[in-house]
Amino acid sequence: MTETTIPRGNTLPRIRPWLGIAAAASFVVASVMALFWAPTDAVQGNVYRILYVHVPLAWLAYLAFVVVFLASVGWLWTKNPLFDSIAVSSAEIGVLFTGLFLVAGSIWAKPTWGVWWTWEPRLVTTAIMFVMYVGYLLLRGLSTDFSRRATRAAVFGIIAVIDVPIVHLSVLWANSLHQLPTVLRAGGSPALDSSMLLTLMVSLGAYTLIYAYFMTARVSLELARHRRLWTT
Amino acid sequence: MLERIGARRVLLIAALAVAVLVGTIAATNLASSTVYYMTPSEVYAKTVQMGQTIRLGGLVEQGSLTSRPTGRPGENEVEFIITDGNAKVRVLARGAIPGLLREGAGAVVEGSFAADATFIATQVIAKHDEVYTAPTAGATPAHRTGFP
Repeated sequence: MTETTIPRGNTLPRIRPWLGIAAAASFVVASVMALFWAPTDAVQGNVYRILYVHVPLAWLAYLAFVVVFLASVGWLWTKNPLFDSIAVSSAEIGVLFTGLFLVAGSIWAKPTWGVWWTWEPRLVTTAIMFVMYVGYLLLRGLSTDFSRRATRAAVFGIIAVIDVPIVHLSVLWANSLHQLPTVLRAGGSPALDSSMLLTLMVSLGAYTLIYAYFMTARVSLELARHRRLWTT
Repeated sequence: MLERIGARRVLLIAALAVAVLVGTIAATNLASSTVYYMTPSEVYAKTVQMGQTIRLGGLVEQGSLTSRPTGRPGENEVEFIITDGNAKVRVLARGAIPGLLREGAGAVVEGSFAADATFIATQVIAKHDEVYTAPTAGATPAHRTGFP
């Protein structure tokens, strides 16, 4: 196998601690804003505050699986193992956040809707998304040949991303229990107070930093593993 | 070598199992959840059988909601009218009723029609909209939680 341009991991370990500090600090700021600074909701009361966890987790799930898609295209295009490392790292993190997203949603649903779970379009499509990426991770264990494994996974990673917009748009396409989008509304300003919107934006930023931190850690781990297993 | 093949076979079976699970969920639930609920107009148009379990969704009509405790803790007997602006259905339910169920807001009920065209709901799900706003001064939120 030809020695491809895998970064030897010189830059990632240097920025990782700073990314970690930034992620932790912004998470604390976001949590304080969400719990104490943002006003309570006129209809739902304080229970709505889980929005500041639920929505960023959903965003991270989407982001992670779009990164899997892009990295999968990158692998098929260039055959650079770096892309495969990014894909598997993002898929694992995406599965973690989709799981937390489902749990947070369930915790929000019980006191507001009155049920933990119902077979509503967005819940069904999200459950499918979760199971598909668990399947993606299982598929990666099938072959011990690096190149074949990466190619199969990449094909799956490209197909599976179709569910991401389906999850997001399901509330517009079908009768659903979920409310319509709050921030990205068709032809209108966001339907929430400006202090709530700011809190949500800070939370989104904080969770994105957490994702970036997890990614740097997981990708360097995968690159180290790759060097150990396949390049000698 | 044998161990390797065994592990791969296990993974292949697991991957197939996940694929089957996805397929089953998609086939059995996605089809029915694209019509997650029917509106009152659809119920009248599609001739729903008496006793057939369906989900019905719409708005709780203003002035139609009455609630009384059943005597069991946390349980209420409620009666309200679900409307989509054109047709109306009278709904009866008893049990744990979500705190967000209120007049003018959305609700989805699961159950079936009785002989007198009343909908007997076995489950009441409250729907909330996408608007979040701070309560006006002095007002208490409709749904109160224990957080200070």
